[in-house]
Amino acid sequence: MSGSFFDLPFEEPSSAEATEGKPAGDDATGRPQPSPLEPEPRRVLTVSQLTARIRTLLEEQFFEVWVEGELSNCKVWTSGHMYFTLKDRGAQIKGVMFGSSLRLLRFKPADGLRVVARGRVSVYSPKGEYQISCEHMEPEGLGARQLAFEQLKERLAAAGLFDPQRKRALPALPRKIGVVTSLDGAAVRDIIKVLRRRYANAHVVIRPTRVQGEGAAMDIMRAIRAIGKVRDVDVVIIGRGGGSIEDLWAFNEEVVARAIAGCPVPTISAVGHETDVTIADFVADLRAPTPSAAAEMVVSRKDDFCARIDRLSQRLENTMSARLHRLEARLRMLESRSGYAGAHGRIAMRSRHAAELSHELRRAMRAQLARRERAYHALRLTLETFDLRRRLGGIRTRLATADGQLGAAFTKAHHACDARLRTAVARLESLSPLAVLGRGYAVCWDASRTQVIRDASTVNAGDRVRVTLERGELDCEVRK
Amino acid sequence: MTDPTIKDFEAALTELDTIVKKLEDGDIPLEQSLQLFERGVQLSRFCHARLEEAERRIEILNERGQLQDAPASLLNDAESQKAKGKGQQNDV
Repeated sequence: MSGSFFDLPFEEPSSAEATEGKPAGDDATGRPQPSPLEPEPRRVLTVSQLTARIRTLLEEQFFEVWVEGELSNCKVWTSGHMYFTLKDRGAQIKGVMFGSSLRLLRFKPADGLRVVARGRVSVYSPKGEYQISCEHMEPEGLGARQLAFEQLKERLAAAGLFDPQRKRALPALPRKIGVVTSLDGAAVRDIIKVLRRRYANAHVVIRPTRVQGEGAAMDIMRAIRAIGKVRDVDVVIIGRGGGSIEDLWAFNEEVVARAIAGCPVPTISAVGHETDVTIADFVADLRAPTPSAAAEMVVSRKDDFCARIDRLSQRLENTMSARLHRLEARLRMLESRSGYAGAHGRIAMRSRHAAELSHELRRAMRAQLARRERAYHALRLTLETFDLRRRLGGIRTRLATADGQLGAAFTKAHHACDARLRTAVARLESLSPLAVLGRGYAVCWDASRTQVIRDASTVNAGDRVRVTLERGELDCEVRK
Repeated sequence: MTDPTIKDFEAALTELDTIVKKLEDGDIPLEQSLQLFERGVQLSRFCHARLEEAERRIEILNERGQLQDAPASLLNDAESQKAKGKGQQNDV
């Protein structure tokens, strides 16, 4: 809108200058070349075009740049972004840092602080302003340390000191707990407190060391080496309480890192607060956010172990007593069956024998049954083909008929016989000697009544003879 | 407590675990299960003993590599801190 208004006054002088200006397209050099006789055609840019070129130029040239200076006019807007001015004695530049980057800073930017900032230059066309858009910022002086930290971290990582497969497990139940820290700080008291509370009979060996200041790193290194040699120390806590990044710096030194890596027993690093990360944390087998937490890690499992062993012992007894009860019940049953005690062995043997026999028997029976079943099936098949039942019916009918005929025939024969018998009896009676005796005749027998005497010469005087009359018999003696 | 057949606490615990599972599964002859049971009791005793074994002791390893009992002030400090700052967990 106002663009055209402000553009106008520039038209005239620029047209005058253009006579000595360079041809269009070569204005990047910006150097006027004297050629008054051949006036070049003017190349007129709009402000927007010019600004666009400036923008391109600056943003490509200063895509990533480090700059140091003093912070002033720091202001964090409700959007979360921070606007500020970075200056030194001769110049100043406006700056912005977005909330997302601001949150990652490990210090709080404030007016008067000297900082080193990393960012890119950007141009804000509507206002014709340029500024530095910062992604990172750190207090001056820290930069060198940060660089050293990153370089050491890279070197040790390349040497394999941070490899996950290097990490050792803590002992389930430490015999002696080594502690490398200062006796002056709160860390040592926190550790003792937690160990005492969680694990009343903890055996702790403390190797005091300076943890900050000149020579602290060497001191820590010696302490780690010394405590690693103490008999029965099977885990070492290395750490200190919170402090500034400078205070914690010893734990970023290579000698400490190497000593931790060379410690013969598992190590826990516990440096400062949760947000403090040191090289020691990367090398140690375990990183604890605080010294108290380190102590917890070392002994936290004691209660778990107690509970687990109790549970296992309980299960051990339960399963065994259940089994014994079952056995007892079986034994009682066997005893009651046998009728007398004290013969468990024999009973067991016999019952096994019996079991074997009955098994054998069952097997044999099953085999036989199978055989019979097969035979039965075969037979049934045969029977069915002959249709025995129908034939049986026929036979039965015939049998019944025959039976009836036979009965009738028998009855007839019987009657005939009966009649003949009666006739015969009548004739027999008429022929009977008894009938002659009725007429007064007598029969003379020998003494044994076996022969009839027909001739008197067959008997002698004195012989006995028997005489049968019609009624009765006489026992006689021959006289002559 | 020095049973040569038991390597260490962790090994004992693992073996105890295995034994309990084996016994609970059943299907083991009585004689063998009795042996396992005895071994299990032995292991659980060992574990309990190991849990209680460590001394309640705090020592200082000095520059000359000698072990000394920690000064009472260090322990009392810890105790008194505990007494006054209930649940306070400062690491600073």
